[in-house]
Amino acid sequence: METRKRYSLILLGALAIGMLGLSSCNHDPNHPGWAYMPDMYYSEPSNAYSENVVFRDSMSNQLPVQGTIPRGYMPFPYKQKSYDDQILAGVELENPIINNDKNLERGKKQYEIYCSNCHGLSGDGKGYLFTSGLFPAKPTSLIGDVVQNKPDGEIFHIITVGSLSGLMGAHGSQIQPDDRWKIINYLRTLLAKK
Amino acid sequence: MIFRCVNLRAGAKLFLSVTFTFLFLTIFIGKDLRAQEAKDMFGVCAACHTIGKGKLVGPDLKGVSARHEEAWLIKFIQNSQAMVLSGDETAVKLFNENNKIPMPPNDFTDEQVRSLLSYIENYVEEPAGEETAGSFADSKVAEHKKLETSHAPTKDRSRNYFSLILISICAILLSLSDLFILKMIRWKVVHIIIMLAAVFVMGGIVVVEIQNLGRQQYYSPEQPIAFSHKIHAGQNKIDCQYCHTTAEESKHAGIPSVQLCMNCHNVVKSGSQTGTTEIAKIYEALESGKPIEWIKVHNVPDHVYFNHAQHVNVGKLECQQCHGKVEEMDQIVQESTLGMGWCIECHRTTEVQFTTNDFYKNYTKLHEELNTGKRSRIVVEDIGGNDCQKCHY
Repeated sequence: METRKRYSLILLGALAIGMLGLSSCNHDPNHPGWAYMPDMYYSEPSNAYSENVVFRDSMSNQLPVQGTIPRGYMPFPYKQKSYDDQILAGVELENPIINNDKNLERGKKQYEIYCSNCHGLSGDGKGYLFTSGLFPAKPTSLIGDVVQNKPDGEIFHIITVGSLSGLMGAHGSQIQPDDRWKIINYLRTLLAKK
Repeated sequence: MIFRCVNLRAGAKLFLSVTFTFLFLTIFIGKDLRAQEAKDMFGVCAACHTIGKGKLVGPDLKGVSARHEEAWLIKFIQNSQAMVLSGDETAVKLFNENNKIPMPPNDFTDEQVRSLLSYIENYVEEPAGEETAGSFADSKVAEHKKLETSHAPTKDRSRNYFSLILISICAILLSLSDLFILKMIRWKVVHIIIMLAAVFVMGGIVVVEIQNLGRQQYYSPEQPIAFSHKIHAGQNKIDCQYCHTTAEESKHAGIPSVQLCMNCHNVVKSGSQTGTTEIAKIYEALESGKPIEWIKVHNVPDHVYFNHAQHVNVGKLECQQCHGKVEEMDQIVQESTLGMGWCIECHRTTEVQFTTNDFYKNYTKLHEELNTGKRSRIVVEDIGGNDCQKCHY
């Protein structure tokens, strides 16, 4: 009796350890895994991009209230995809960025991230996405007369809302206004390099 | 005489055949060259027009010669805006129908436009292109499979654990049954050693797993769209920041909006791996306005503060340093542990741009030590990078 009791006890113990081991090695790549005593582990406030029960569209990221302007932000008063507004932007907008080495370097960096995929590192319109045949349409040469003769404001308009043909999308949400001007300054140096 | 005559006739025949072949060849090659030239010229048009594939920016050009007179077409292709301004009815109507987007003037000669029009008329889709695309897709699938196996260690590891634990349990049960029932082995030391070893193995696994509690290394959830970083960042060489735009300015690297996808996918409608099925989901989201619910892979607990801007903009780290070779992943896998030891280790070894960044001017003592040679370099830890409250507050 004594031995049988001991036997079953040891067996139970072994099984318990085994089960513990088995339960912990659930490596489902779809599951983020478990946390031990998750105090302050999961956020109480809403995280960026999270779902939200408070708002009607169930998104935590909300647009600014209509009619308000965030601090340090200039509204862009020109219409999208309008030839007249593009010309108007060319006349009205002035490039506020001083042309120094630091700004040009920043412009170069931003150009390489956002523009060179299509327009090419040298601005000749032969970017990798086009030469590899992935993007079927030929991008405009930025060192050609058509672009170089445009005033800064017009190029700014195109970067912000996209080209009139719609083949180049709007990059206003990706590139900060200052960086857009720096890119334009850098564009002007590309012609000289050629 | 007869011989000469035959000879003459043969000579004439030869001469005639040679000239005809020559003429034929010149016409043929010339035609071929012109076709090639027209094809190149159409590359300019292809930016806005398709032949038989529907409206892009401008109208579909299939059957364009039937819709308009040739003389009108030549004039329009050479300078459409001039015609619109002169008030040509058809031109103005077309201009208004296509959202008033002007077609840029082309300096083609009349002859060039004619060959371009005949190219459009005789255009047949090249099946060869599809074939190569197919084999390309196949090779992609093969690569994809290779990648899957290369990321298999996750699954393999758990399988190893499973079999190890099973073996250990079996060993314990066997030695127990032998100890009390069968009694085949006389020395009890053997049973005890076997059982101890099994418990040791299982305990080891438990310890490793407990250490990994709250960590998500190798977490690789299936995303709502089978987006491949390998294609976008690796094959297409698109910079990480093109899509993750806020990595330089914000705590978050940023998840691109559907509108950003459309920068390329307004034209690129079919992928090399999944065809149109996955890309169609973008259009669906754009139409319905319902956001795509991407699953965040790299998480740190809420009691840890992490900021992308500090690391990308100030620290000038490469994305890959923490996220692994994303450009080789079809489905994102968390390669680093993102554990505290991992953070601290990097803060101990990573040098700060101490002299070039003016922000660090205030650290006069450290600058002095650097100048006198007391220190050879300044790492993140030296400027308080490993203080508790830096990340936990």
